[in-house]
Amino acid sequence: MHTTIHSLKKGEQAIIKDFDIDVVPLKLLEMGCLPGNTVELLQIAPFGDPLFLNINGSHVAIRIETAKEIEVDIIKLNLW
Amino acid sequence: MVSKQNINIALIGNPNVGKTSVFNQLTGLNQQVGNYPGITVEKKIGFCKLPTNIKANILDLPGTYSLNASSIDENVVIELLLNKNDKLYPDVALVVTDVENLKRNLLLFTQIKDLEIPTILVINMADRMKFKGISLDIPYLEEHLKTKIALISSRKGFGIQELKEMIITYRTISTEPCLNSSVIDQDYFDSLRKAFPNQLLYKLWLVITQDVNFLNLDRNEIRSSFTKSHSDLKRLQQKETIKRYQFINDVLKEGLKIDTSIAKDYRSKLDRVLTHKVWGYVIFFLILFVIFQSIFEWSTIPMDYIDASFASLSAYTAAELPAGVLTNLISQGIIPGIGGILIFIPQIAFLFMFISILEESGYMSRVVFLMDKIMRKFGLSGKSVVPLISGTACAIPAIMATRNIENWKERLITILVTPFTTCSARLPVYAIIIGLVIPDTHLFGFLNMQGITLMLLYLLGFGTAIFSAYILNKILKIKGKTYFVVEMPNYKLPLFKNVGINVIEKTKAFVFGAGKIILAISIVLWFLASYGPGKSFNNAEQIITESHINDPLNDQDFENAVASQKLENSYIGIMGKTIEPAISPLGYDWKIGIAIISSFAAREVFVGTLATIYSVGGSDNEVTIKNRMAAEVNPATGEKIFNFASGISLLLFYAFAMQCAGTLAITKKETNSWKWPLGQLVLMSGFAYIVALIAYQILK
Amino acid sequence: MYQEIIAFVVLGIAIAFLIKKFFFKGKKSDKDCGSGCGSCG
Repeated sequence: MHTTIHSLKKGEQAIIKDFDIDVVPLKLLEMGCLPGNTVELLQIAPFGDPLFLNINGSHVAIRIETAKEIEVDIIKLNLW
Repeated sequence: MVSKQNINIALIGNPNVGKTSVFNQLTGLNQQVGNYPGITVEKKIGFCKLPTNIKANILDLPGTYSLNASSIDENVVIELLLNKNDKLYPDVALVVTDVENLKRNLLLFTQIKDLEIPTILVINMADRMKFKGISLDIPYLEEHLKTKIALISSRKGFGIQELKEMIITYRTISTEPCLNSSVIDQDYFDSLRKAFPNQLLYKLWLVITQDVNFLNLDRNEIRSSFTKSHSDLKRLQQKETIKRYQFINDVLKEGLKIDTSIAKDYRSKLDRVLTHKVWGYVIFFLILFVIFQSIFEWSTIPMDYIDASFASLSAYTAAELPAGVLTNLISQGIIPGIGGILIFIPQIAFLFMFISILEESGYMSRVVFLMDKIMRKFGLSGKSVVPLISGTACAIPAIMATRNIENWKERLITILVTPFTTCSARLPVYAIIIGLVIPDTHLFGFLNMQGITLMLLYLLGFGTAIFSAYILNKILKIKGKTYFVVEMPNYKLPLFKNVGINVIEKTKAFVFGAGKIILAISIVLWFLASYGPGKSFNNAEQIITESHINDPLNDQDFENAVASQKLENSYIGIMGKTIEPAISPLGYDWKIGIAIISSFAAREVFVGTLATIYSVGGSDNEVTIKNRMAAEVNPATGEKIFNFASGISLLLFYAFAMQCAGTLAITKKETNSWKWPLGQLVLMSGFAYIVALIAYQILK
Repeated sequence: MYQEIIAFVVLGIAIAFLIKKFFFKGKKSDKDCGSGCGSCG
């Protein structure tokens, strides 16, 4: 199982790695959802879906089914 | 060459960048709203005088994230920009961006630049730069983006004059693209260039990838020789997007600095509350509650005033003008007809005010986010909330607002159920009937019973919409790719000017659109009610005199008796009497029947129709419509016509019936089939009849 | 008498307007998005 946006916890940041171009809408790409850009999970809607993200500076909400398609590398924040 | 005195300016930009505010700042109230030919996309043109006496037509194009269109609204943008022969083809394009979202907004800018139109980059919301710790190197950005930059704040109103001065120098603005995107597949684009040497490469690319009309070139010709699989095209579009972002990132690295230590952020704090799993919903329902209570409480004052003024105006004209047919037409047909239009203005204005405040403030997107999971259970999308809420103003723009729902099944269901929400045309009908049959008392001292009834009717509308969506979701077998992307814009204080212009526009559209129809119907109704065939109409005086030969009536009673004898035997009376058997089980008399029939053109005609019928029927002109309705009794039983049972039955009938020609037309347009609007008409009205029948039979 | 003539002219205008609006919609529809509630913008 790959790490995807769906695996992020609230407040966690990650780098977008890869996704299947046929299932991720072009509109999301235009919002900045492209490999190499950062994504942060800002808020989870009540009932767990959709997810409110900060992708490369754009604030967007997407559903979990789309979030599951976007592979990421989680940035481990070193708090100390 | 003499410089042109009339130039076209196109305003282009992503949604939520304050494009409309810029438009309003440039044009003030000097604007026209219409539609693009053949489609119902709003077309806003404004006029503005630039320095040195140049007149500008400013076209406010629909907001779009890029030139890769995914809706007909966005198609409009591409079609205009590709068609040099269009009389609105811009001499200069203003790409409006938000300083806080510059990176994303510049994507569209780089695409517009590829079309080789003189382009000015308008960076809006510059007043927020300090607050967010943003600084820009304007000369650097102008050089690398090959453009001129106007730093403005449409909110604070600065930079507008400078922008106007910049516009008149449009001939000196570079039309060179700022990056070469054809490197994403050099061979492909080289052969494309060879095949069509006279065409702009990016235009060809748009024709290949988009579903738009392109003059002078046969799209099939281009497509057949340069076709690629859908997947390959999308891959290229992705490459193109990446290429553009790389360029933008490189430019902004030098040109834009953000000092995050200064940046303040209240968005996340607000979001934590407004999208909270408990508070989020509580606040949402509180807002709805306040809206509906205030609409009812506040608008009754001007409405009563308008109602009374028109009643006395009728009486005045009847007394002052020379007696005759025309005077009667004016005092009984035209004046009550106009009154029946103007009486809606307060409620419509309030409703549009609230809706535009919710949208302007950025709160509407939070509602979408909050409601998506719940709405999906009913086969709807979170985005269906916007049409359902704006359906409380009017189903027509609400159905148009479904265009940004990506999934066809979710969109279709939203279109089909939106007419159940309580539109503003139902409001006057509700208001007058509630006023007649629900006591004006207060519960717990502050909750107005009439207000609560109104709110229940709204909830009933929403409830029915959602319930029928659930059923449709089970019945309809449509498969489609589903996705959902919604931008969560910054919170903004709504601008008084934007809200005000919006309210004025919508109210004007109502008065001059629907108003004309209501007035025309009122005039026709007056004739139908004032003329009749045969003896029983023409010899009314004689018949009444003969029937009361033994108990002579006094003058007043005699006049009233003649008037109602005439009305019953007029053309409209005959029509009403014919359908009476069908509607009397619902508790309605033939007069209400006429009002219901005429409401199938548009619901709001109901009040006007009753006003006309009662004005013709009565001899005393100085009584308001409401008082006339309250005084109406059934001649057979002596019972009031508008009693609790028939009132509730009427309310339910109007809540469910599909009585709006305009909505049927827009459903046909948006679904491209007669099947759906006919289904709405038959099923909704049938359901309304059954529910009203049951309610009356139980309550009477 | 003159009152009657003017009144019937007004009726004629009203009917012509309604017929145009509801039966010749195809041609007009590009400018007007509907007849019903009118607040179509």
